[in-house]
Parts: sequence; structure tokens; C-alpha cells
Amino acid sequence: MPETRLLLEHAEDPALRTLAGYKGYGGYATLEKAYRELEADELLKELEESGLRGRGGAGFSMGKKASFLPRGEMAKYLCCNADESEPGAFKDRELMQRNPHQLIEGIAIAAIAADAGHAFIFIRGEYDSQADILDAAVAEAYEAGYLGKDILGSRRDLELVVHRGAGAYICGEETALLDALEGKRGNPRLKPPFPAVQGLYGGPTLINNVETLSNVPRIVAHGAEWFKGFGTEQSPGTKVVSVSGRVRRPGNYEVELGIPTRELIYDLAGGPLEGCEIKAFYPGGSSSPVLTADEGLDLPYSFEAMAEAGSMLGSGSIIVADDTVSIPHMALRTARFYHHESCGKCTPCREGTNWTVKMLERVVRGEATPMDLDIVASVQENIIGNCLCVLGDSMAMPVGAMVRKFRDEFEAVIAAATEASRVAVVQGPAETLGAAT
Amino acid sequence: MSRAVTIVIDGREVAATEGEMLHDAAKRGDVEIPVFCYEPKLGEPVGACRMCLVEIEGIPKLQTSCSTPVRDGMVVHTRTDQVKHAQSAVVEFLLVNHPLDCPVCDKGGECPLQDITMGWGPGKSRMTDPKRHFQKPVELSPLVAIDRERCILCYRCVRFSQEVSEDSQLQLLERGDRTFVGTFDDRPYVDPFHGNITDLCPVGALTSYTYRFRARPWDIEQAGTVCTLCPSQCNVSFTVRDEQVKRAIVRDNPDVDDGWLCDRGRYGFEMFAAEERVRGPRLRGGEANWQEAIDKAAEALRAGGAASAAIVGDASNEEGYLVQRIAREALGSPHVESRTSRGPGRETLLRLAQPALSARVRDLDDADAILVLGTDPLHSSPILDLRIRKAMRRNGAKLALATDRPTALDGGAVAAVRYAPGQATHFLAELTGALATVDTPSSLATRRSDLDGLSPEASSSSRAKRSEGVSTVADLLRGAENIVVIWGERIGREGEETIGALLEVAGALDLASKDGSGLLEIPELTNARGLREAGCLPDAGPGFSATTPGKDTEQIRAALESGELKTLLLFGVDPLRDFPDTEAWKRALAAADQIICFSTFETATTAMADVVLPLETHAEKDGTVTHPDGRLQRVRPSASRPGEIRPNWGVLAELALALDLDTGVTSQPSALAALINAVPFYAGIDDAAIAGRGIRWQDRDAASSFPSPASAATSFPAPDEAGESGATGTPSSLATRRSDVEGLTPEALSSSRAKRSEGAPASPLLLGTYRDLWAGPITELNPPLKFLQPQQRVELSPADAERLELRSGDEVSVAQNGSSVRAQVQIRERIEQGVCFLVEGTAEGNANALLNGAPVEVQISKELA
Repeated sequence: MPETRLLLEHAEDPALRTLAGYKGYGGYATLEKAYRELEADELLKELEESGLRGRGGAGFSMGKKASFLPRGEMAKYLCCNADESEPGAFKDRELMQRNPHQLIEGIAIAAIAADAGHAFIFIRGEYDSQADILDAAVAEAYEAGYLGKDILGSRRDLELVVHRGAGAYICGEETALLDALEGKRGNPRLKPPFPAVQGLYGGPTLINNVETLSNVPRIVAHGAEWFKGFGTEQSPGTKVVSVSGRVRRPGNYEVELGIPTRELIYDLAGGPLEGCEIKAFYPGGSSSPVLTADEGLDLPYSFEAMAEAGSMLGSGSIIVADDTVSIPHMALRTARFYHHESCGKCTPCREGTNWTVKMLERVVRGEATPMDLDIVASVQENIIGNCLCVLGDSMAMPVGAMVRKFRDEFEAVIAAATEASRVAVVQGPAETLGAAT
Repeated sequence: MSRAVTIVIDGREVAATEGEMLHDAAKRGDVEIPVFCYEPKLGEPVGACRMCLVEIEGIPKLQTSCSTPVRDGMVVHTRTDQVKHAQSAVVEFLLVNHPLDCPVCDKGGECPLQDITMGWGPGKSRMTDPKRHFQKPVELSPLVAIDRERCILCYRCVRFSQEVSEDSQLQLLERGDRTFVGTFDDRPYVDPFHGNITDLCPVGALTSYTYRFRARPWDIEQAGTVCTLCPSQCNVSFTVRDEQVKRAIVRDNPDVDDGWLCDRGRYGFEMFAAEERVRGPRLRGGEANWQEAIDKAAEALRAGGAASAAIVGDASNEEGYLVQRIAREALGSPHVESRTSRGPGRETLLRLAQPALSARVRDLDDADAILVLGTDPLHSSPILDLRIRKAMRRNGAKLALATDRPTALDGGAVAAVRYAPGQATHFLAELTGALATVDTPSSLATRRSDLDGLSPEASSSSRAKRSEGVSTVADLLRGAENIVVIWGERIGREGEETIGALLEVAGALDLASKDGSGLLEIPELTNARGLREAGCLPDAGPGFSATTPGKDTEQIRAALESGELKTLLLFGVDPLRDFPDTEAWKRALAAADQIICFSTFETATTAMADVVLPLETHAEKDGTVTHPDGRLQRVRPSASRPGEIRPNWGVLAELALALDLDTGVTSQPSALAALINAVPFYAGIDDAAIAGRGIRWQDRDAASSFPSPASAATSFPAPDEAGESGATGTPSSLATRRSDVEGLTPEALSSSRAKRSEGAPASPLLLGTYRDLWAGPITELNPPLKFLQPQQRVELSPADAERLELRSGDEVSVAQNGSSVRAQVQIRERIEQGVCFLVEGTAEGNANALLNGAPVEVQISKELA
């Protein structure tokens, strides 16, 4: 099955980056229509009816989220979350790099729906060239009158600022993003109040992912019904899926939601490398519980199917592990990432990630016993659901799943490492001493 | 408003208020939910420690009870397996990196982490991996040590620094389990409230150097009393071991201190044991026994008779009451005072003290607008500084300031008006005028645009700025419902009409008729209000009863010098340090026939006294004091009295007896009863009514017997000027009356200097003075606080510094009419041109040496005297 390219339509054309190139393919026509003809309520209704689900990880209905913003005269904000930092995810990068104006148009239309006068793109600091591209595109959009004061004579204003993050995974969490944007330490806030009620600078704030907002112009142009023609009932639309890991053709593939996962991995990404077999994969970035090949390959790639299988679609990033990959090492690598990125504000995440890493390090060093695996599993249980934000769960869910599903492999690694260290103890000292002197 | 609701916790019905946090409701319902990070005093919950997770029916995930508002009918479980499991997990996580060095930790025995681990923890550790390590302990400040290994990162200290004292020095550095509490670039944490973090810390991570390894929770006692080191009268609890104070901690009283304590109150107790402490009675020839000392004192007072005077300062209500009885009844002298210089007369005081006009400290919390007039709370009543910040931060109160010197609160104020030292009256007249005229928005706008056109150098610019400031203040006050005016007693030094002008503003704003509005004084002395009400005034006896008028402090000084007065009784005052015009006081003390001085410490004044008698500190004293908002509070003895020191009420009763006056006082309760009998509006108050939290006399029925001032009019005729102006002080007449002093406002001064400046480079600056929080025995006699001792410095504007060719740090002499003090130059942006400021009460170069009761102009020169 081929890709269904909507967001990545014409992406191969380098001119798409420029305002002229984008307009050449009909860009900004929807914005003009929205500013001239559509009311905020109509836009909100269209977005809600389209069933567009957030593409950042949580999969919450975008229209519904926008409808939570209180009405009335007050400073409201729109933030585009471009802090794509989840291991395995690189779809927003491509969307911003190839088609920045699509995002800007989406933001400008969503700002009407949210009645926001200020919008921000919070982009991760490492996406330096993409931020340059966005800066240039934003300047063009201001020049063309699509941003700024009195847009297209509508008496609406919209200021759009591209803000580069200083490099922390936690700033992709929406409330930490807000704190970071306000110039504070990027720590998640307690919810409620949700950002829709009290967000940036205390004002109602709509926060959406790059891909979510990039979908907006097409939905408004063609209508909710058209959009629902793609994907499944509960997961309408297309999804740009980042496929990486042990496959022949890693990359971004835009597909209708609900296609068999096998097609994504085998047909589009080329399947496993020569002589290898797929063992497991993360279906939605490194924070999703891994699925074994048996469990996952034949599931439809949709929000609902992944949730039913005990995992999640998340940001839509598949990381494939084949039979050459050691699951315990993969678990350690995953845990180390989250330990490094934990902000430290709440206890279970701060201490749980740290403790898990120490235990898994012992596992791969062979200084653990199978009883330690029980403790690892129990620590993950103790983290899940008890944290301030989802970062702790993001480690505990995949690590917990790996220990549960590949316990044999963990025990084998312990046994092998223990054996190796015993040999080293017997044979080691003389050689080591000799080498040292 | 909030509605009363019922919730069910663990099967029990608990009455709660809608919207309050579940943890608080549970606590009142006797259900304990463990917490580390939650502390309502610190503001909004942060939900960081995750210790208080509970199960709420209808919500799938466990919720933090510290951040979940109560709804009617909520059903909560705190002891289900799921909750127990989660709480035990959080304790286990907290201990992953905690060193468990309880046997050598100061917190051991009074440690929430210990208690919660015992109560909710797993009891056994599964953690076998190495823990994190830090260098420890390290100096967070000269007073507080931090042990980062023990820290459980609950955020309390950091929130205190950022959201209560608003100094923002404490930060969390690094992230994840590498996070640690520290300051930028490892600088010491310097803040006058920073000791509070040691109370807040739920583990042994933050400890006071003054208490480290001094005692264990099982060999100490806690004794509640009231700190009398400043008018805030915070409720403290002394930690006592072997009858000696080892530590002071807060004793939360939302009506007084809101649960905070400044470092002066917290570490001040160390000076009680100073070498300089007066430990027993002393006569000129040397030490004496009590009998000799009392006989000698009685003899001196009898010799003085009606030509004696008494000045009371650091004293309880009972002590003040007894001193004025000795003066009035035993000696027949009306010369009793409790103020450092002059102050308003009885009529004005009566008007000021009207129950309806006085604000409670608590009123600040609900105030829409707060005006701070003529005082910097940070220096003169520090805990109010925090209270004002809280009102602004949490409840959106708007603050306006009118002071001579820039204050610590300027940053958050809607308007900060600067008047020249000694010109509060002028400001008040302007304010009354502005309150009477209604500004239309357009006229305001015009005025602003006018201003824009002015260059900063233009001589009228600062005047225009001030008049805009005054109208901003007026607009703010006019538009506010609840208004609290915090004013400094020292504006009364300008003269009686200043207080009249203040009362006029209060009348214009109708403060007396609004329950949440009123005046709140910050007096010069801790117990100023209590002493005035106990009768330590030259023209009023106990309860402001009318008496034969006597001399005020300045008149006493003059009369001593002229020989009209012979004997001086000083009780807890040190005129040579604390009163204006040091030279004149030296002459007065030298001229006195006999000086009887009750003093806590040896001072320059005790050195000139004939009889020196020891005073108790607030750790030793038994008695009552009255808070500036009218709250009677009890000072209780917690430590033993050093040396020969005796209870002061007893010494005074004995002295009275020696003078053939039987006061009937035989114990502290009888002293209190005698006072209460003498003050009608205190009627019915006793120790039981005062209890641990104090009682505001205005809130009791007896307050109705408060005497009404003779003239009921709100406007105030200044006695000395009423004749000449012939009218009451309407706004316009006040303004005219004050127009003659216009020449002393800073801008006028600078413009007049502009004319003079050609040939006279050393033209004078108007001198303002203030009492620094750290000036005096508190730092000089207190080893742990010595590093805070202020050196005399002269603060002046950058423009004046440039004109005088001075740079920050230069040593200069500040001179006036023959007297001079040495000081270091400090250039401050926010100081107006034409004025400079010195600190009062310093050991060297005390600014009081330059004051003489009138506005003072000084010369600053690099030639040191």
C-alpha cells in the first residue's frame, strides 16, 4: 500500500518552503477564506466534527481542547509544541523543514478559533536549521500580511514568535513548555488548572503539536466530512509515521490511520535487515510499551487498536528491534534517557528513574539476581500513575513491558554476565596486574 | 462565598468548606494524610512530593489531597490497599537517596521524614545501590548549613525564597535526581527572613549553625512567648535546654505574624548571654545588693520629688503602669514619657486610637489598597513586609508608598511617592487635596503627555512626577473598598499637625466606618501602644485618662539641662543611642542630679547612671504587651534569669513601697489585674482571656468605654496654629499652611542650589535618617549576627554624588552645625536629588548625633574630621 500524502503533499518541491512556492500550490487560500468569511464558532465546530486527534502523544480531540477555552475579552494564547524530543520521533522536523507555511497557516486559522492574539512556536533548540526556516517563513508571512496587525483587513491581530528551547525533553510537556516560555525553569505544573483555562502568563492557552496544526488548513478547506474519509472512525485522517530502528528504509511515511502495522514496517520501511527477524517494536515512540512482533505486527495502526493492545500510538513513531537487539540493553538505554531527562520535581519519577537505571546497570553487569527483576518490575508499577506529569510513566511503561514480556532474556543476560564475571575473577587478576605494571 | 459542605473520608462524615484543599479538610476531621511539600503558608500547592495521594470515588487515578479542592459529597479513602501501596512507594522512593543518618542528624526526633517513614513507609529497604553524594554540610549562609544528601527536594525553602520573602536567591540547580538547592554562583543566601527555611525543612537538610549539635528533642522543652525585639511582636517558641534558650522557632499566629519570624527575632536570643548584660544591681561605686540599690534609688527619687521624670521604653504594660504610678503617685511628678522625641497630645492620640479606626494585621490580607506612609516595614516591623507582599501576590492588593527614603517594597508598588525628610505633612496635605478633586481620565492623560516633554533635568520634572504620584495614590485609594494605612510613628516628630493631616486623610477615606479598613501604626518602640494605654504619657494616665500635663521627652531633656528637673528614671531606654540629638542628651544626663537606669545591657547611658538595675529579656519576663493593632499578648518566662536579676514588676513594686506607695502588686497576675482595673477599655481581660494567641481589646465589649475625643469633628485644629489660621484644617487651608515649607522639598532645594552652586561646591543636602533593622545591640552583642552589623554610610543620589565628586565607598564626614559623623558613601539610584540618608543607632557615627528636632541640612566632605 502506498503512502497517502496530504501533509507531505509536494514535500519533494524545495520551493514549497517559500511563500510563493506554497501559494503556488494554493496555500493561504484557506486562511484568506477563514479571515474573510468564517467565524470562530464555525471553525471550532468544523475542527471538532473532523475528529482530529492530537498528534503529539495524548491523542486528545483538538477541536474539543480548543472549545475548553473560556469566551470573553482576555489575553489568550496559542502555543505550537515543536519541542519534538521523544526518541524515535522526527516527523515534526520534516513538516517544519519542508512546509513551514502550512504550519503557520494552521496556527493562524487555529488562532481565530481560539481567539488568541499571540502565538508561539516552541521549537527544540537542536532544531536549529528548522527554526531558521520557520523564522524566514514567519517573516514572509508578516510581509504578506498573514500575520501582524489587522490581518487581511479583518481587524484581527496575531503576533507569532518562534522561540527556541534550551534543550530539555520535559519542555515538551505542555505545562513545562509554558513555564520555559515564561522564562522559568521548565518544570511541569500541577493540573488542574489546565492550560486551556490558565496557561501562558495565566491566560487561556491552546497548545497543539506541529502535525496537529498542520492538518488545520486542509480540514477547514475541504470540511470535516472530507477529513473523516481518511483513517478509521476513531482515528480519522492521515499520520506521518517516523519508522526507525532495524529496518531497511527508516524514514517518515504518511499513511491513513488504521492500515496494518505490518504494511508500514515491511512495505514502506522495507522490513527487517538481511537475515534478521523482527522481535519487538515501540509503536508510538520510546515511551510506549513495546509490543512483540506476534502481538503487534497485524494490528491496525490506529489510536484505538494500539490502546487495546496495552500500548499507544503516541506521537506515531515506530522503533523496530530485531533478533540482534538485546532487550535488557534496550531497556537500560530507554531508562537512561528518562533518568537524564526527569526534571526532578516529583518523587516517583526523580527517584524511580534513577533507581531503575542503577538496577538495570547491575542486570547487564551481572550483579543482579532474578529477584532484582521483581524489584525492577515493582518499581515501574510504583511509578505508574503516581507522578506529577507523564514523564515517569513514559519510562515505567516501556521498561515494565520489557521486563514482563522478555523476562527470559533478562534472566539469560544476568546469567551470562554473572558467568563472564566469574571467569574474569578466576582468570582476571594475574593478567590485569600484569597489564597494569 | 464559600459554602459549607460535607464529605466522607474513610467512612466518616467531615464538615468542610467548598474549595478548600482536601488535605486541610481531612486534618480538621482528624484524618491525617502525610505531606512533605504541602505548606499552605507558602501559597499554592505544588504537588511535588506525591506523599498525600488518596483515592477519590469517581476518579480512576489517585489524587494528591494537597491540591484537590473539596466538593460536596466527595467520598475519599485514605487507607485502602491502593493508597497504602502508593504512599509506601513514595516513602521508599524518598529514601532511595536519603542517607538515613538519623543518629547524627539534628532533626532526629522531630523529623517529619522519620515520622512518616514510621507511619506510612514500607519498613524495609529494597534499595542496595549506592546513594548520591554531595559535599556536606556547606554554608548556605553564615547562619544556615545545608546538607544536600539529606534533602528530599520538597521545594519548601525555594518556594519561601521565591514566593514569600521574594528574594529569589534560592534556586533548584541541575535536574532529576542531580537536583540540589543552592544560590547563583554559590553566593551566601542573605535575606532578613532566611532563618524560616530551617523551620520549613521537613528533614535535616537545613539547620541553623546556632543550634547544630546543641540539643536533642528529648532533652529540650518548648516555651511559648512573644518576641519583643520590634513592634511586630511575633509569637515565638523558645527551645530551652538546661533553663537556657537554644533556639527560637515560630509559633504560628495568623493574627500577628502569619507563621514567619525574621532573623532578628530568630537569632536575637544569643545576645541574652552577652558579656555586656546587666546581671545585677549596681551603684556608682560598684556592685550592690538589691536592698542597697532599691534604697538608693528610692532616696534619689525622693530627693527629686516632683522634679523627677521617667522615660519608659522596653517594658511590659505592667512595668509601664507601675513606673507611671511611681512618678505620679509617689513623686507627684507628671513627667512620664514613652516616646523617643516629641509626639502628639492626648486629644490626637484618642482620635488615633478609636477602635473603629484601627486596622487589624489580618485586614492586610483582604485589603484592596495599602498605603505605607513614612516607614519602611522591612526595617521597622519586618514581618509586615512579608504580610504586605502576601496581600499583593496572593490577593491582588494594590500598594502605594509615601516615604522619604526608598523602601524594600517599592518594586511592587503602584506608586512610590518620595517626599523630603520631615515633609510627610506636606504629602498628606497634597493627598487630601487630590482626594477632593476628581481626575477625569483625559486630564490625567494631558498631564502625562506634558510630562513626557520634560527633560529629566528640568527642575519642575520631579515636582510633576510627585504630583502625578500623589494623584495616582489618590485614585487608588478612592477606588478601593478596604484600605489599610500603615504609618510610621516617626512622622509625628514633624509636629502635631502631621497626625492631624493623617486623620484628615482617614476621614476623607471614611476608614472608620469600614470594618476591613483602618490605620495601623508602626511605632518606634515595641510596646509603644501598650505603654501609652498604660499611662506612660505626659498628658494622659492609664486608659488615656486626663492628668496634669507634664513634659514630653524633648522638654524633659531641656529641663534636665536647665536644672528644672533633678532626677531621671530610665526604664529600658538608651537616650544616648536611640534618641535624637545625642549631644544635648549628654549634657542633660550630665546635668541630672541622679539617674536611675533600668537596662538589659551596659550602655553609654548606664555608664552615666547612679543606680543601674537589671532588666529581663522576653525569654525571662512575665507580663503583657500590646500589639500596635491593639492585641494584648502575654510574654512568658521560658529561661532562667542570669545573675541576680529579679522580676521587674517585683522590683518596681518594691521601689514603690520604699517610696511609701503600696501598689498592692504582689505577683504578675496582680500586676496585670491592677493595670486592667486602671484601663476601662481593657476591663475583664485576664491571663486566661489573653491565652496563647492574645486578644484584641477593640474586639471586646469593654471597647465601648473607650473615651471619645473632646471635639467630634474629623478635621483637626493644630493647637499652635489654630489661632493664627483661625480655621479647621480643611484640605486647602492645610495646603496653604504647608506651602511655606515648600522651600525644603528636594526639588526646590536642588533648584535653589542650582543658583548657588557656582561658587559653593559643598552646598548642603537635606538629611533623612532611619533605624536600620540591624543597628544596635542586636548585632553588636550577638556573635552569630555580628556579620550583619551596619557601618555608617551616607546614601545619596547619583547626581549629587557627581556634583560632590564622590564615589561609592569614599570615606566622608557628614557635618551639621559643628557635629559630624564619619560615613561611607553609597550612591543609590532611587534617592532623590538634594537629600541624603544616614542610619540611626549605629555604634560608630550614629546619625542621632546630627538630629535636633528640626529639618537638618548637612555638608558632606572628604576631609575627615
